[in-house]
Amino acid sequence: MIAELIARIRSLWRGTLHTRRVNAELQEEFRHHMELRAADLERAGMSPAAAARKARAEFGSTDDHVENARNARGLRWFDEMRISWIDLKLGLRMIVKYPVLTIVGGISMAFAIWVGAGTFEAVRQLVFPSIPLSESDRIVVLQNWDASANRPELRATHDFVAWRSALRSVSDLGAYRTVTRNLEATAGFAEPVSTAEMTASVFRVLRVPPLLGRTLVEADERPEAPLVAVIGYDLWQSRFGGDSGVVGRTFRITGTPATIVGIMPKRFAFPRSQELWVPLRVDVSGGEPREGMAIGILGRLTPGATLEQAQTELANRGKIAASDFPRTHEHLRPQVFTYAKSVQLFEGPEESGVLLAGNVFVVMLLVLVCANVGLLMFARAATRETEIAVRAALGATRRRIVMQLFAEALVLGSIAAVVGLTAAGWGIRWGFDLMRGELTDGSGNFAFWMDGKLSPLTFLYTALLTVLAAAVAGVLPGILITRNLGERLKRATAGAGSTQLGGIWTAVIVLQLAVTMGFPVVTFFVRRDNVRMETQPLPFPVDHYLSARLEMEQFSPVRGADTGAAAFQLRYANAARKFEERLEGEAAVAGVVLAEYLPRQNHPNNQIEVDYGAVAPHDERGHLVASTHVDPKYLEVLGVSMLSGRWFYSSEARSDARVAVVNKAFVDRIMDGRNPIGRRVRYVRRSAPERQAWFEIVGVAPDMGTNSGWGPAGIYHPLVREVNTGAKGLSVDTAQVYPLNVAIHVRGDPQAFAPRLRAIATDVDVTLRLAEVMPLRDVVNARLAFKAFWVRMTTIVSAVVLMMSLVAIYAVMSFAVSRRTREIGVRVALGATPRRVVTAVFAQPLRQLGMGLLAGTVLVAYLVGMMRGEMPSAAQFLFLGGYTALVAAVCLVACVVPTRRALAVQPTEALRE
Amino acid sequence: MPNAELLPGTLDVLILKSVSLGKLHGYGVLLRIEQISGGALLVQQGALYQALARLEHRGLIQGEWGVSDNNRRAKFYSLTAAGRRTLGQEAASWKLLADAITLALSARPQEG
Repeated sequence: MIAELIARIRSLWRGTLHTRRVNAELQEEFRHHMELRAADLERAGMSPAAAARKARAEFGSTDDHVENARNARGLRWFDEMRISWIDLKLGLRMIVKYPVLTIVGGISMAFAIWVGAGTFEAVRQLVFPSIPLSESDRIVVLQNWDASANRPELRATHDFVAWRSALRSVSDLGAYRTVTRNLEATAGFAEPVSTAEMTASVFRVLRVPPLLGRTLVEADERPEAPLVAVIGYDLWQSRFGGDSGVVGRTFRITGTPATIVGIMPKRFAFPRSQELWVPLRVDVSGGEPREGMAIGILGRLTPGATLEQAQTELANRGKIAASDFPRTHEHLRPQVFTYAKSVQLFEGPEESGVLLAGNVFVVMLLVLVCANVGLLMFARAATRETEIAVRAALGATRRRIVMQLFAEALVLGSIAAVVGLTAAGWGIRWGFDLMRGELTDGSGNFAFWMDGKLSPLTFLYTALLTVLAAAVAGVLPGILITRNLGERLKRATAGAGSTQLGGIWTAVIVLQLAVTMGFPVVTFFVRRDNVRMETQPLPFPVDHYLSARLEMEQFSPVRGADTGAAAFQLRYANAARKFEERLEGEAAVAGVVLAEYLPRQNHPNNQIEVDYGAVAPHDERGHLVASTHVDPKYLEVLGVSMLSGRWFYSSEARSDARVAVVNKAFVDRIMDGRNPIGRRVRYVRRSAPERQAWFEIVGVAPDMGTNSGWGPAGIYHPLVREVNTGAKGLSVDTAQVYPLNVAIHVRGDPQAFAPRLRAIATDVDVTLRLAEVMPLRDVVNARLAFKAFWVRMTTIVSAVVLMMSLVAIYAVMSFAVSRRTREIGVRVALGATPRRVVTAVFAQPLRQLGMGLLAGTVLVAYLVGMMRGEMPSAAQFLFLGGYTALVAAVCLVACVVPTRRALAVQPTEALRE
Repeated sequence: MPNAELLPGTLDVLILKSVSLGKLHGYGVLLRIEQISGGALLVQQGALYQALARLEHRGLIQGEWGVSDNNRRAKFYSLTAAGRRTLGQEAASWKLLADAITLALSARPQEG
């Protein structure tokens, strides 16, 4: 059974891939046969010439025998499926001959392939990252999983030391952690740099040699060793001007002098997007179990060891640790996985599922778009019916003709694929750039494995997409056009209107229209919200403000300083206060204010409940609003006045002040325009089911760029600036906000003040870091940017689908007419009025339009309801009606030309055909 | 002896039988069938190669290139293990059928 199967596969393989050789061998066999037969005949007394002639005559046509032998091997099917050069050449000729179809079909297919390839590449890079390191699948991350808290436990210096000496299946175990350090390349001018503290062994695991100098060595990790640093290529270029003599030079890292010992090559940014590497000093004892700093642990599987072996060995170590340290390690389960897995952006199957579903959606879009191109190809093929009938009469099978149409679509698709892929490479970089906020870790740099380039796998996927596109656009119309070909050949009346648009095309048109109507509606709503936020004018002169995020390093350069959380809060509060005072003393500064979030920044959204008093609750589910804590002088510095009620008193900057100010959008959207003053709001937290405290609304402020991606409704609370240093000593104050954002009202150009701002920060405290220093007008809400990207995408999709619809409808109409030229002629000859002709000819296409518009209206009504969470209002119905009328008008315009042509047909002309 | 028409489906088993007696090229198969059938069976030359291709495709025989008696390159066919099994089954069922038909045809009208 299996032997037979293998023989068949081998035979097919040879027959399809080595056709020429197999055929030549058969011919050789036949010649040999005939020679032997002729020799036998000669022996029987015939002359050589007569014997040869008789042998040939007996044997018959060798070409027929070759074909029969191939058929016996089941190769007939393959032979018919083969695409020849002639098919492709014909396809190219068709592209030139029908420029409109080429342009419309080509653009549509290129668009579908662009979206398809782009999505695939994005999903691949986000969900299944491939790490550009030597044998990266053997680089593993070791981590303790806290089974009781269901989260990783990263405080693992103790385990790291234990594992480093015990594990056999993982070698070169190293530890690392990421921090941000102030780099002072030029004295007095510090800028934050994304830094990794690593043990020397991590460099061995990564196997990336330095460009210049050396990487870290074990001796650098000793506590008494002088601080050394390895810098990244980009940092070397930007801060040290690419000076090759930089190795050995000293600069300051957060106030501490450090010597550069090496420069890493371009694109090395382990563990993610770091640019500076300094030794990680782990105490040889490892410290107390489950204490100390949070670290990542990395190693390389020893040659021959598998991930499973490493997991087993590590699990055993975990059991030993659990019995040795039951108090800390009872619930810890050490795990090992590849580095690629540890950096997956979308870990859960749910999120990966969403992304994969996105791919499926894109493939559906491709099929839909290509079905349209297929409709056009069908109309074109219908006009070539005579040619097809002649081909069939000359012996081409149905499959052959379908394959020819497939080849034509493939030529078009291949051109479209080249265009689509080029655009996809560009689109990926565009998309990543817009999602920078979500994809990067604050430094603004992408992870080193996300290069935004198209991978070979994507090229392969695109090839598959192209074949699929060609199959939909070429094979389907081919199958339809060759239906009943034999029947028509018999009647020998090709072009007499026997080809009909089947149910599948009706479905395509109906679906097409429905989608055409649906897409712009989605775009409309997304855009409306977006435009409102983008164009919402801020009630203060935004051009005169500079903004920055104020961060501080947990680590203090002062030896023996308290590094606890409470001490950090105090340090931060004092530094922020000092920084603010210094700025206020600057001549160029008209005002300074600190806030949790500044206008147009991405605010978090919170679910709230409103105590409506006597009014019945409006919505049981609560509302999502943006909220932020701002300094009481916020309004004064921004120069904004209240709409009603009052702003915060400076005495309300306390954690127990239960007051809130809402904005106008809050009043409009949540209070339905009613007076909110005196009403109370509270936050609903899923994690804390007990009731939260109520806040009293004391005033209404104008809309000042609070938005969370859920709308502009926002709530302000007073920012608490003092750290509780009460009788019980220093304690962590949960009301403290970290990090704060600063808005500076600058006299003159805000950008020009930026260097001075950095200098002041470094002077106030070397551990103070300024991030995202930029004019306030340039602050863009990351989510808004993504939404804008989405709006642009849906707009493009809508435009393409709308264009496709138009062309497809036009094609169907003109096709319907061209099929019935003779019938129209007869009707006109018999005295039918133009109106009757139009009614008769366009009955079916108009029915399809009607069905499409109806389906589209239902879809739009559903979408409108979904977007607003309620039934459409009268105005929205009007909009809907208007839009439907527009689509209908577009369809009717598409009918005009064919209609005129139908009526211009002369009866004599039609009858002559 | 008059020539008999080949029954449909019998050519394959005859080819299997003839190559089971030794490696043969296409023309050799033709002669062997004539020889072992005592000249009673004549094979259509075109049908022969179609059948050979079919059997080779099914893995019942295998062809390999060698040198023939007239010093020419020729393709020789031999039986595979699968082919030997198939030949055994086909021969047995053929014998059963032939015996049954012979028996049926040799029946005489019963007396009484």
